[in-house]
Amino acid sequence: MSSVILDEMREAVIQGNKDKATNAAKKALEAKISPMDAITNGLAKGVREIGDKFGEGEVFLVELMAAAKAMKAGMSVLLPEIKASKTKVKSAGKLVIATVQGDIHSIGKDIVATMMEAHGFEVANLGEDVPVDVILKNVQDQRPDILGLSSLITSSMPVQRKVIEELKAAGLRDKVKVIIGGAPTTDKWAKDIGADGWAGDAVTAVALAVRLLSSKPV
Amino acid sequence: MFELLTRNEVYAIHMAAMEVLERTGILIQHEEALRILKDAGATIDQKKKVAHIPEYLVKEAVRKTPSRHLFRAINPKFNILIGDGNSYFTNAFGAQCTYDFSTGQRRASTLKDLEDFTLLSDYFPAVDYIKPNIIPQEVPQDTLQQTMALSMFKNSEKHLSFLALTLEGFKDVIEMAKLYAGGEEEFLRHPSIIDTGLNNVPPLKYTANIIDIALECAKYKIPFDISTGALASASGPITLAGMVVQGVAENHAVLVLTELVGPGTPMLWGSCATIMDQRHGTAAYGSPENGLIHAAFCQVAHYYGIPYYGAAGIIDSKVPDAQAAYENTMNVLNATLAGVDVVHDAVYGIVETGITASYEMFAISNEICEAVKRIARGMKVSKETLAVDLIDKVGHDSNYLTSDEGLEFTRKHLLEEYWIPSLTDRTSRPDWEAKGSKDMLQRAREKVKKILDTHKVAPLGKDVEEKMRNIIKQRAKKRP
Repeated sequence: MSSVILDEMREAVIQGNKDKATNAAKKALEAKISPMDAITNGLAKGVREIGDKFGEGEVFLVELMAAAKAMKAGMSVLLPEIKASKTKVKSAGKLVIATVQGDIHSIGKDIVATMMEAHGFEVANLGEDVPVDVILKNVQDQRPDILGLSSLITSSMPVQRKVIEELKAAGLRDKVKVIIGGAPTTDKWAKDIGADGWAGDAVTAVALAVRLLSSKPV
Repeated sequence: MFELLTRNEVYAIHMAAMEVLERTGILIQHEEALRILKDAGATIDQKKKVAHIPEYLVKEAVRKTPSRHLFRAINPKFNILIGDGNSYFTNAFGAQCTYDFSTGQRRASTLKDLEDFTLLSDYFPAVDYIKPNIIPQEVPQDTLQQTMALSMFKNSEKHLSFLALTLEGFKDVIEMAKLYAGGEEEFLRHPSIIDTGLNNVPPLKYTANIIDIALECAKYKIPFDISTGALASASGPITLAGMVVQGVAENHAVLVLTELVGPGTPMLWGSCATIMDQRHGTAAYGSPENGLIHAAFCQVAHYYGIPYYGAAGIIDSKVPDAQAAYENTMNVLNATLAGVDVVHDAVYGIVETGITASYEMFAISNEICEAVKRIARGMKVSKETLAVDLIDKVGHDSNYLTSDEGLEFTRKHLLEEYWIPSLTDRTSRPDWEAKGSKDMLQRAREKVKKILDTHKVAPLGKDVEEKMRNIIKQRAKKRP
């Protein structure tokens, strides 16, 4: 029964069980369940449930992170089928996120990336100490809806400004919403450098991303 | 006064930290530092930039680290001997927002806030030395450290600890310190007229500019504090013991390097670590777990015979309320009873986990910290204080308030035995009502206003200030 398999995928994600998620995803493929169905009503459904519970303070961050990992594991099994069927998987949006050059802090950004995934965003996490031209190239190639820039030390904050300037120079600025974050950054700094928004924590970052995209003209 | 761990547990942490240093090593993005460590006997993975440091290097470095050292102040009455057994308190570090004192509005912090908070730090008796309370948001990046330094030099006579972000900025601050000390020769003789503080990137990493600054300190023997900023379950293990192990290993990498380059450089070694709240993904500094980390970490520092520096007293509450008061009290008290040599962020005039400065909270926290200092002073037991003869004299028929002997004894010992609060209400109800039924927050406001209106600090020499401003001007000129 396809509903049983979908439920298995959902459960696996809720439990944060990678092995169970991959097994269920394999079963889904064998049962010829469409990848869209498998994701929407199986994996993503589980993540959304955990995400909602986290928002209500009923579930710990560690469980959210584990759920996201389980979903990723299941997705990797479905990926070949997604490519083959040329299905465009509906997502809440696409995020490219990076800690800017000169800065090796990662955790805050990684929590934002995971929470965005939990909310149905497609996320490309470029890592830390990412050169400006690499960020530009990823914006050009991946065409994300949102670019997230993290800076955890004051000396790397100017690079956030530089990225925005380079986007303008490359004619890409109006094609992507830029949000920034990191301990020394502020809302005022975001406005000063021409970013579209600032968030001081992961929960706010997700809300900001959703808000920015909902007001985006189609 | 209290020891959290047994001697075996402390030793177990030491051994675990040595294993981390040897087996996992520390990533140091600094070629010269890696070379220095290699020459001294560490094993370097050049490709990964990881230094595997053997235990004997730690033992040698600890032997060269002063067990006590003098922090000098421009007014020598404020000199303090770190490691003398007292717990010294600093004010809070680093607020980028401030609750405006007049309007109550939350706004970006300014240079004026830094001046005011430094002046308050100079006044508040519980503050033993001063950290940069505010990061002024309107000052350009390239002159931030220098401008902050000038503001602090001008507004206090106590020992000052400066913000060091870049080598270039720190070098300018050192030049300003030379002027402050009365000349290059004087500064070289007594570099501990200033100090600074450094952090790593947990887990187990150091960036180039931090190492640059450490090496500069080692060159002059300028004291600095090295402390981990890890968050349990995020950048460190969720287990508190594991947090201490990781922090010990991280700190030792810099201790070893510093003492190789500048043997005898005074160091404060410790922790600004805490737990990450798993419900929200936020840092929880006002947590009981924070205090436990300090208590254990401090024992490890004392096992090595070096002074312990811990950020205990940081407030998570977003306003100066009951939560703020309990968070500050719980951790400052815990740290002090555990024998922490420097309780950083003790007199904590910031709320919202280091983000928003609050003038009122500073006054309230000073009161809390004065009470804690009274506890630290303990109880004097001597023939005199046991008072057996007096008790007999007063006997059954008299008392200590009306008898001559009682009064004389009280006058003799009052100020030794009692702490005199300035912000705590212990009046009778009619008295309290007559004075306006004010709560602590209101009384704090009034006190801060009075201090800002009346407290004065000896000014810098005219040419000293001018020369310091010139250093800032020259740096600004180099702006592209």
